[in-house]
Amino acid sequence: MINLVVALPAEARPLIKHYGLHDKQTHAAFPLHRNEDMALVICGPGKASAAAAVAWLQGLTPANRRDAWLNIGIAGHATHDIGTGVLVNRITDHASKRSWYPPQVHDLDMTTGSLRTVDTPENDYPGDTLYDMEASGYYPAACRSSTGELVQCFKITSDNRQQSTAGVSAKLCTRLLGEQLEPIDRLVRALEKMQLEYNSLHTPHPDHERLAGQWRFTVSQQHQLARLLQRWTALAPGQAAWSRELEKKKTAAEVLHCLSQQLNALA
Amino acid sequence: MAGHPRTKAICARFPRASQVFCERYGEVFNPKAQDFRLQKQKPALILANKHDRRVLETPAGYGIGGERNYYFSHMLNCLYDCRYCFLQGMYRSAHYVLFVNYEDFYSEIDGILENANGEPCWFFSGYDCDSLALEPVTAFAEQFLPFFASRPQARFELRTKSTQVRSLLSQEALPNAVVAFSFTPEEIHGTLEHKVPGIQRRIDSMRQLQHAGWSLGLRFDPLIYQPGYREHYRTLFQQVFSQLDATRLHSVSLGTFRLPRSYFRNILRLYPDEPLYAGSFAESGGMISYPEEQEREITGFCTAELLNHIPESLLFPCAVAA
Repeated sequence: MINLVVALPAEARPLIKHYGLHDKQTHAAFPLHRNEDMALVICGPGKASAAAAVAWLQGLTPANRRDAWLNIGIAGHATHDIGTGVLVNRITDHASKRSWYPPQVHDLDMTTGSLRTVDTPENDYPGDTLYDMEASGYYPAACRSSTGELVQCFKITSDNRQQSTAGVSAKLCTRLLGEQLEPIDRLVRALEKMQLEYNSLHTPHPDHERLAGQWRFTVSQQHQLARLLQRWTALAPGQAAWSRELEKKKTAAEVLHCLSQQLNALA
Repeated sequence: MAGHPRTKAICARFPRASQVFCERYGEVFNPKAQDFRLQKQKPALILANKHDRRVLETPAGYGIGGERNYYFSHMLNCLYDCRYCFLQGMYRSAHYVLFVNYEDFYSEIDGILENANGEPCWFFSGYDCDSLALEPVTAFAEQFLPFFASRPQARFELRTKSTQVRSLLSQEALPNAVVAFSFTPEEIHGTLEHKVPGIQRRIDSMRQLQHAGWSLGLRFDPLIYQPGYREHYRTLFQQVFSQLDATRLHSVSLGTFRLPRSYFRNILRLYPDEPLYAGSFAESGGMISYPEEQEREITGFCTAELLNHIPESLLFPCAVAA
């Protein structure tokens, strides 16, 4: 699953249309649009809202799944042309001066740059950095349930020293996002691919549920079972752990012992 | 640090690279929400200063004949991706960190030598990284060898799996330096040592160095226990010793596969599909290793085989944690 975090409805519109996110939850804490593989939450402006929306969406996600996260939105920059898309490689919170560095592990051939999250709109744009109001709330929150490589941030320049925030309208936001759908799509595909790769390593063995349901395992034994099945996957990939021999066992301890012996023979 | 000549030279080598500035390298390297395995696909190069603890004493039992043993790392993380390596369990990040302030390392080494009352001191490099794999970028050997050349009281080991030996071949061989190459048998190299040059290429580099007068070491570490290991190691030893002049070797060491428990668990989370970590292991004193019987068996076998090629005085079994 890939989760898009977007501040404004105007930013969300082209993404909802492009990805067919027609399943809208109208009574949720935050506007949420989704399909089978993607969710888009509109968090509202500000880093606190962004963090809250991420946390809320995390609450809807199964605990053992690592989702990919992507914050997309507009940002200001001193000199970038309006419409410039940037993959963010450093996020700094202006108030606390804390910084985060989204790992740049996706081969995307994109412009990259740093971003500073401010509490009020920036109209002076000091330094060679983008300015937004959400990323420093979004990023650490998303990292609590995923790994940095799957948590990314893409910003589109909407204002600069020639054209201030006063000129940023809903219509402009929608247009700018719509014009960056191609690089956004590349980033989404890269994140999806990496997320699948990551989660496929941590999928329970196909026989896990059957085994866990057939005998009564204590918590400690459940951990042992998980570890044995993990070893089974590594040493006998594709082979069923369930066997006639196991079926005859009366207790969880006997099952664990049997599996362990079979594994030691394989190792 | 940004203005350091070494930083500028390295940045000039990569004019198209994105540069991201940070206050301390730990800001990028240390955060928990990172995946070593994913990052290994495209690690970044972090240039930093090492502010303290640059040169450390080695653990007890680590050494090749010296009484005073130290190690230092000009770099964290390795170009290679050996599946048995402890680095993937120790560090959250797979980014390379290069400490550009070599001069501070020199000062610390000089301080140790000054306090050693004239006794020889060994300095080992290649613990947190491969000493030579990134030599074209780091110029580590090119710059540290002349430093050690003028400190005859120091003994210097460069441990490597690399064939980047140009810097060494362009200098006079140092009498107080050992270039130590690590090996595992072909069957293990092929499945576990990703991106590492082939065995024969490393032997070829060793032959060039030996011909140029460099003192060489062989490091059979870690020894990996697997079906057929006897034949595998016998073949490896034969391949190595048939091409090198064993009478001119400095030392040969060996040690079995072992990892601190926490590193083992980290690596298991990263590589749950890796058969190496799916075997049966024993735990003792916070270390995961083969069961004692297997350790004794493989160490005994390899020791006996090695003694067919070298005298006992050259052999140093490693009896210490990774």
